[in-house]
Amino acid sequence: MNIDWLSGPLLQQLNSGVILLNNQLQIVYINPYICRRADIQLELVQGKDLFSVFADAPKAWLSRKLNSVLTLQSPAFSSWEQRQYLFKLPHLRPVSSANQYMAQNCNMLPLTEPRTGEQFVCLLIEDATDAYVYQSQLQQSNLQLLQVNRLDGLTGVLNRNYWQQQLEVEVQRAGRYQHPLSLLFFDLDKFKRLNDDYGHQAGDIVLIEVAKLIGSLLRETDLFGRYGGEEFAIILPDTPLEGAIEVAKRICRRVAATPIAYKQQQLMTSVSVGVSQFSTAVTADELIQHADLALYQAKRNGRNQVVTYYPELIDSLKKVKA
Amino acid sequence: MTDLSFTEEQRDCLQELINVAMGLASDKLARFLNTFVHLQVPAIGLVNAAEIPEQFRGQYQGLNSSMISLGFFGDGGLRGETILLYKLENAGKIAALLGYDDDATSEAEMLTDISSILTTTFLNGLAEQLDNSFSYAAPRIISSRDNDFISKLEQTAFHWQLALKVDIRYELTDYSFDCNMILLIPGEAVLKLKTILDQVLAEF
Repeated sequence: MNIDWLSGPLLQQLNSGVILLNNQLQIVYINPYICRRADIQLELVQGKDLFSVFADAPKAWLSRKLNSVLTLQSPAFSSWEQRQYLFKLPHLRPVSSANQYMAQNCNMLPLTEPRTGEQFVCLLIEDATDAYVYQSQLQQSNLQLLQVNRLDGLTGVLNRNYWQQQLEVEVQRAGRYQHPLSLLFFDLDKFKRLNDDYGHQAGDIVLIEVAKLIGSLLRETDLFGRYGGEEFAIILPDTPLEGAIEVAKRICRRVAATPIAYKQQQLMTSVSVGVSQFSTAVTADELIQHADLALYQAKRNGRNQVVTYYPELIDSLKKVKA
Repeated sequence: MTDLSFTEEQRDCLQELINVAMGLASDKLARFLNTFVHLQVPAIGLVNAAEIPEQFRGQYQGLNSSMISLGFFGDGGLRGETILLYKLENAGKIAALLGYDDDATSEAEMLTDISSILTTTFLNGLAEQLDNSFSYAAPRIISSRDNDFISKLEQTAFHWQLALKVDIRYELTDYSFDCNMILLIPGEAVLKLKTILDQVLAEF
């Protein structure tokens, strides 16, 4: 059976784009798939330079590629993963997808007219918008999962697990580069009573607001996490002890001075802070232990204050426990 | 089990066809790059695909390397996958020659472009020698700037029975560019290739 009649209707109805160019990169043929989407008429663009018709196409890069196809007589490719599209064409996907233009895979093939030997390059364009959209959604979900995995659900600061991992990283870094590193541990004073008096909802609001307030007092590089219940911890990279004490005092002052609105009431709260400092002989666990001991001492001293760790604290704790 | 091994004659024949294909490729590349391209006669070796990762461990492990795959289909059941391995510092040299420093081309795009130019130019020549013609899938980056290079190569090689290892060295007048090409061919296609080689041998 003769199938010469086939190519015409196929090109008409093909669900992919076909653009045929001569060796001067002038348009010889464009199938309806592209013509309709680009809103052009074949008769009006035939013989014109590709880049005069598709002015937005990446000219330097694409012409180099098309010339490589002609010179080497080898195909070339373009993938949406590296370049989202070559030509600005609309797609038929729901408007909900964030990308405005059709994501495209493109094959560029060398073709030779059998009788004259004239050389052409053919662009086959496939719509990859679905793959693009799915991958974008997947990436977004992964990012969200990563965040959920790292953040505390209530307050939005780092969760204990991730914060502790970061502490290990920062301790190693400080040790390697001989940089100072300090740690703050703090705890909301009389939080249990607040919960008893006003309810857990009030407690939650206070946790959220205090975390927000303290977050605003920190640098981008400080690592603020929720260690447990009403206990929080902050890693201060590149910060010597004096700087850390300064930050701790500021936190103390600001929390005590800032009322928190809850159901037409103004709740007042305060925090006690323990400070410890990294030195090469100290592990991450010990750094936590030191800050925790200092925090415990701040509570014993009457709350709403800052205490810096000193070695005797370990002995004083033993006495209390005994 | 079917014998996939090549006779000495078949092997010599394949080596010769690859040499010719390489010659054609280097000629085309020289004209395209507008610089003299010297191509050393490639060393080929037929190996069990499972042995491939071990062979490249020493050469690439721990370096900034890239691994790009390109699948091809020919007539009569001939098909396979080529893997191009090269060090990224090498890629920079040829990228400059191809004019990739003048616009915002991504590294991934540059790597796939270089690979498809090098592999399809060679494969087209090989297809011509085998009186065949190949169609290609788009190149795919298997690994780039990746520490887990060898295990990715293991996963890829796992699917194939036989690997034709082609060591290529392109020498350009002012540049030097080394890469390794691996032609991976499944068992049925190896049988087909053997038949084709026998035909070529019979014609001479």
